[in-house]
Amino acid sequence: MERMIISMQDPDMGIKLRNQRLLITVIPHAMTGLDIVEWLIKKCSISDEEALHVGQLFVKYGYIYPLKEPRNLILKADDSSYRFQTPYYWMSTRWPASELDYAIYLAKKNIRKQGELIEYEKECYNALHKRINHTWDFVVMQAREQLRASKQRRKGDRIVLECQEQAYWLVNRPPVSPEHYKLTTLTKNTINSYHNHFYVKYCEQYQPHDPIMQGCLPSNPWITDDIMFWNMNSETVALPTKLRVERWSFSFMELLNDQMGRKEFLTYLEKEFSAENLCFWQACEDVRHGETAKIPEKVDEVYKQFLAPGASRWVNIDSKTMEKTLEGLKRPHRFVLDDAQMHIYFLMKKDSYPRYLKSELYKNLLARAIVPQETKKSVFPFMRRQRHSSPSPALATQTAEDDGKAKYSNSNSGTASRILDSSVHISLYVEIQLIMHFKDTLYDVAIMLYEIRYITNFQLFNECVFFSVLSVTCLFHTLVLSLMYLFDIKFFLPAINVLLSQFIDIY
Amino acid sequence: MGKDECKTMLDALNKVTACYRHLVIALGSTSDSQNLREELKKTRNKAQELAVANRTKLTALLKDKNISKDDRAEYERLWVLFTSSVELLEVDMKRSLEIGQDFPLKVPTRHLIQTGMTGSTTTVAARAMSVQNMKYEADANIDTVDLKELETEIAQVDQMMEEMEMKVQVAPWAVEAKQEAGAELKSTVSVGNSSVGVISICEEEPKETVEGETGLMKVFAGIIFTGVLLIAGILGYLVVNL
Repeated sequence: MERMIISMQDPDMGIKLRNQRLLITVIPHAMTGLDIVEWLIKKCSISDEEALHVGQLFVKYGYIYPLKEPRNLILKADDSSYRFQTPYYWMSTRWPASELDYAIYLAKKNIRKQGELIEYEKECYNALHKRINHTWDFVVMQAREQLRASKQRRKGDRIVLECQEQAYWLVNRPPVSPEHYKLTTLTKNTINSYHNHFYVKYCEQYQPHDPIMQGCLPSNPWITDDIMFWNMNSETVALPTKLRVERWSFSFMELLNDQMGRKEFLTYLEKEFSAENLCFWQACEDVRHGETAKIPEKVDEVYKQFLAPGASRWVNIDSKTMEKTLEGLKRPHRFVLDDAQMHIYFLMKKDSYPRYLKSELYKNLLARAIVPQETKKSVFPFMRRQRHSSPSPALATQTAEDDGKAKYSNSNSGTASRILDSSVHISLYVEIQLIMHFKDTLYDVAIMLYEIRYITNFQLFNECVFFSVLSVTCLFHTLVLSLMYLFDIKFFLPAINVLLSQFIDIY
Repeated sequence: MGKDECKTMLDALNKVTACYRHLVIALGSTSDSQNLREELKKTRNKAQELAVANRTKLTALLKDKNISKDDRAEYERLWVLFTSSVELLEVDMKRSLEIGQDFPLKVPTRHLIQTGMTGSTTTVAARAMSVQNMKYEADANIDTVDLKELETEIAQVDQMMEEMEMKVQVAPWAVEAKQEAGAELKSTVSVGNSSVGVISICEEEPKETVEGETGLMKVFAGIIFTGVLLIAGILGYLVVNL
């Protein structure tokens, strides 16, 4: 293409060029469309149509640009004028039109037109401003400098420069018509929003059923050690929970996956005299997921019960699927009943399932379904947890020590010492109870803090956490000790022993 | 002041880059000539000098660790301007090589594209070189000789850019431009302080600062710990005395 353009420039054999006359300036090197077409016909000995087509290509790819209607990139074989594009602006894969250049061009145009850009140019401008924001200063600076540089040329050249650049960008960033633009954005948006919509709907539907998001009623067994939640949702419970029943209405698969749902659906189908469908489906599932050795006999059973003509529970399958299945039955394998199963599945899904959801049976069940009560939460958060921690070895040694002490004091002193011993015993008992109680708390706190420590990797946080845990435990122990002091009991030492053991135990 | 110097130098580089682009656009067209080739060469050399000067200045400024955060952000913004300028210059140089090779001047059947531009580009070049009148003293075969020089110069610029990328690590996308959309409509260039940058110059520096910081934090944590102990002791004492 480029060689042809160059050959067009030949002063003898090239295209005849005229002058373009604007108001006062005269710009040379303009040619008419007709000239181009004629030259092409002469040079390449091609037909009129072909020449026109080739000329169109020149204009489309920016080697020639029209002067009168710059936005209309077509070649008209009449006296509308065209001009050649400078080599810098020729189409090249090595130098694709970059965003930065386009931004500079738009900025220049903005300055020249004092902010009066065309609609799509304005949009492009704003989009570019967002995208290459970090070089926007450069864009502005370059735009200004380039304009100042072009002011150094004479007027004719300046006009040509502007036309050239405009033509280049019209080829490389074709203006999208507003309807088309809206349409493309609309279709893109609808496709995205369709997927988004689907996800949003799914999330909205399943959110009340999510134990993490919504919480578990009556209570999360992992937290409260209370297995009522599992008991209430088991397969053999008399009355299901409301959430469970609602879930059956989300999709047919949900209903079938729940054993209780399946049973309820079966009762409904029995009323409708189409229970064989569900039984057939269940039998097919059994074949699919069962033992390989038993497949032939299972398939045989299914055939005898459901598919044979005149069978006791004959299912209504269309003839084509029936033929295919019967053919396959000669060589039974795991998936031989798949087509029939699919057919019956869709039959149930489209027909029986919606009717079931609207039926009295379902509605009654929904009304009767229970909403379990949430177990009462106490105010202090840690009190709720009834941790059944194993008895601490310190306690065992302590009781041993107490016994030892009691024996010792008994053997040595009289009643006074006995009273003292008993008070020691009581105080120690009280202290130990307090510690055991708070030990759970401290344990929880320590675990929480350690978890946080492992999740975050902050050096500083590690140190702080460590020290704060230490200080918290110290605080508690100090409090307890001071309480003991309050009760005016002087036998600290064994208490301190116990305390230290607890301390070590926690860590 | 370093910043103002930098800015003036950057402005000069910007001007020369714009003029160079203008000249390259005229290559291959009817306003092409010996003079144009010479102008291109001169403008190119000037641009390269300015680029090198800018680079040394900016790298020196950015390597300096004792500058405030605002200053650093400003220098990063200037750095981004500088790199964009040099990139543009490089692309233009490569394109001028290509077009120059396609349109040699000394062939008997030379066909320059008749684009309608007939004036000369002297004034543009004069603006680039900041002189009143351009003097043309080149040989007749400047176009072929120049192309070889051009190739070597392109290689030099490439190398310079690579070095720049390696030595100074400024994240260009993290720099916020000061001009908002439509700022070119205003006549004056306002220079505010609103950009943010991320920087990590060399490997050695970050280590020390981090170590220093953790030492400080350890002492801080120790103070907190003793404080809490004190509070615990005081509480116990109060409980006892109540």
